[in-house]
Amino acid sequence: MSLSRPDTEDEGVDFAKVMRRRLVWLVLLVVGLVASAFVAVLVGTLGPIGPGDPEYISFEEAFGAIFHGQGDLPDYYANVFWEVRIPRVLLAAAVGAALACAGTAMQAVFRNPMADPFIVGVSSGASLGAVVASLTGLASIAVLGALMTPTLAFASALLTVFVVYYLGVVGGKVYVNTLLLSGVAVAAFLGAMVSLLIYFAGQQYHRIIFWMLGSLSMASWTAVIVVVLAAVLGIVLVYISSRDLNALLLGEETAHNLGVDAEGLKTLMLVVAAVMTAAAVAFTGVIGFVGLIIPHMLRLVVGADHRILVPAATLSGAIFLIWADTVARAVIAPTELPVGIITALCGGPFFLYLLRRNRILGDAL
Amino acid sequence: MKLEIKGLSFSFGDKKVLKDVTFDVEPGEFIGLMGPNGSGKTTLLRCIMNYLNPPADSVLLDGVSTNTQSSEDLARTFAVVPQSSSTDFTFSAYDIVMMGRLPHRSSRFAGPTMEDAAAVQEAMERTDTWKYATRRFFALSGGERQRVIIARAVAQRPKALLLDEPTVYLDINGQLEVMDLIKTLNKEQGITVISVLHDVNLAARYCDKIALLSNGWLEAYGSPVAVLNPDTIQSVYGVDVVVRKDPFTNAVYVMPHSSLAAGPRHGRRVHLLCGGGVGGPFMKSLLDAGFGVSTGVLNVLDSDFENARDLRIPTVAELPFSAISESAFRDNIALVRDSEFVVLSPFPVGPGNLKNVEAAKQAAAMGKRVIVVRPEEGRGIDFVGGRADEIVKELISSGAIPVKDMADMLREISRGVA
Repeated sequence: MSLSRPDTEDEGVDFAKVMRRRLVWLVLLVVGLVASAFVAVLVGTLGPIGPGDPEYISFEEAFGAIFHGQGDLPDYYANVFWEVRIPRVLLAAAVGAALACAGTAMQAVFRNPMADPFIVGVSSGASLGAVVASLTGLASIAVLGALMTPTLAFASALLTVFVVYYLGVVGGKVYVNTLLLSGVAVAAFLGAMVSLLIYFAGQQYHRIIFWMLGSLSMASWTAVIVVVLAAVLGIVLVYISSRDLNALLLGEETAHNLGVDAEGLKTLMLVVAAVMTAAAVAFTGVIGFVGLIIPHMLRLVVGADHRILVPAATLSGAIFLIWADTVARAVIAPTELPVGIITALCGGPFFLYLLRRNRILGDAL
Repeated sequence: MKLEIKGLSFSFGDKKVLKDVTFDVEPGEFIGLMGPNGSGKTTLLRCIMNYLNPPADSVLLDGVSTNTQSSEDLARTFAVVPQSSSTDFTFSAYDIVMMGRLPHRSSRFAGPTMEDAAAVQEAMERTDTWKYATRRFFALSGGERQRVIIARAVAQRPKALLLDEPTVYLDINGQLEVMDLIKTLNKEQGITVISVLHDVNLAARYCDKIALLSNGWLEAYGSPVAVLNPDTIQSVYGVDVVVRKDPFTNAVYVMPHSSLAAGPRHGRRVHLLCGGGVGGPFMKSLLDAGFGVSTGVLNVLDSDFENARDLRIPTVAELPFSAISESAFRDNIALVRDSEFVVLSPFPVGPGNLKNVEAAKQAAAMGKRVIVVRPEEGRGIDFVGGRADEIVKELISSGAIPVKDMADMLREISRGVA
């Protein structure tokens, strides 16, 4: 719950005021998300905003292409928007939301500020799947090929999580420290295998590295549908567990003593986060930083209560990734940077700024 | 709420932590769980809370086994206050207390209601934590934090509080504050309290009953007076204690000593002439130095009489507030005869106990080595018009050894032994 310091000591807590403040935050974030998506769609080599090279079109023409289908512009204008730009922005939003939400859940389950959606091995598992798909030529098969990489990445990510989870469970109890270390060890092992494959990959290595740094360039309506479904399901499950997650932050025993089924909650969160993350990563590669930093940032802004933190972090993750991707494809147009580089470059310094500021203020936000 | 622990045994792997523990807790009782480290206190609390799963039907709540109840049901009956609580996450004190309302929500998905808000405010006002409501929990002091956790327990509206050494990290003031608060909740709202406590005296002062665990067994269960006796404590903790009554509360008051009756390590005996509480340190230091010690004549109720009794020193006793009788004096001389040294400690001398000074004179006459402890001349411990001082002077002139304090006395005696 985010509270400001009262002027006098016995002012106490104004319940309604706190709720109002939260509502304002959520409304602002929803408006921000819609606005960001709208603007991001217009940014690009073919669009009214952005590099404008090789082709500049006016706002009017862009809206014409988006809303009226063809109009008097060439056919491919509409296609650029409806088949490339719009799915890409939607995918960015869904992936950003999924990663931020999964990161929030993992930080609560592990009670560790370094936890992120990849902590139980999702990224290394997915990478291995993707690399195998590329190198074995499965990805090059006609029609089915485009879905081979995501499918293999998704499957191997979930398999990895299953192995890590199995290692972390003893006698029906989930030991988060064991889980964390198993995750690190398994990730290191799979990472080595990926490196080994890359070493022998020859010319393919550039494509693999690009995938591992994360990119939204493979966006398609199929990807949007799959990731949105996984993200919505996951976000709903995490959100309805908000109060339980709050209790879990005080330790498993305390959570149990407050009537929370800690074991069930941990398992549910691990599964939900793994599915969301694996679905996102399967289509975009490993986009780091969003799932680690966004929950922290929002915790500094709205407080640690998951009832506001989960929706706020989810919306912010979506906004953040939309902008990061927009920058990634605009800075060195007509080519693009891997979005993972942008997320780290922008997010890091801003997070450090918040961290310092907050240490200095030193009061409940 | 009646809680029955019935033949509760619990093991971690091969290690048996609780062994056939059986006791009942009546509604509204204040129970202290005591015992050395590793005796199973915390495990017992966790079994009651079903955080560790005890065998079926070994923990019964109003006759129903706790195994069959969900953690949410249990959380409406019990509220737990751990030793200390910390979180790195930025919860306000208010958020922490609101978590106490979790077991009362109408469904898993329900947010806090106005009723919850009212319960939280009431709990925080009751525990005097409302003024920190908006402060960060982790920025509060240990005592403030513990009070916030108790507020959470109160907001939980439990039938019983389970506390695991709630005062262990608090200073004396914080300890009493927290214990008083718990006692008030216990008395005013009839909330049953089961608390692990390490401090024997805190336990004696606040608890109706004490359950003393030793190595997983329930060694004793009953009122503080019944449980906290020197023999039981010696057998459970392996330390010697002196048990007295707190002069103001009449609660049992326990003073621990690493070892009280070290027992004579050599055959040398010292007879100590004392009274009025002056003798206690002399008895202890002589015992620690390995001497056999006897004392007399002491009036029953004199604090030196109690000192001697607690140290199990042979004593010649006289009726309370009576002058030393002829027969007591003779018994005293008999003890002098069995001793090698006689120490005349600087006790106040009045008409009733002047005979103890005369006993020193007799000892000198019998050829015993007499040591006279006189801090300074005329310290005003002679209430018989100078007769005692006169005897002392005579003693010294006839060869008794004058020393100025206890350390000198020990040095002198040790030299005599060597």
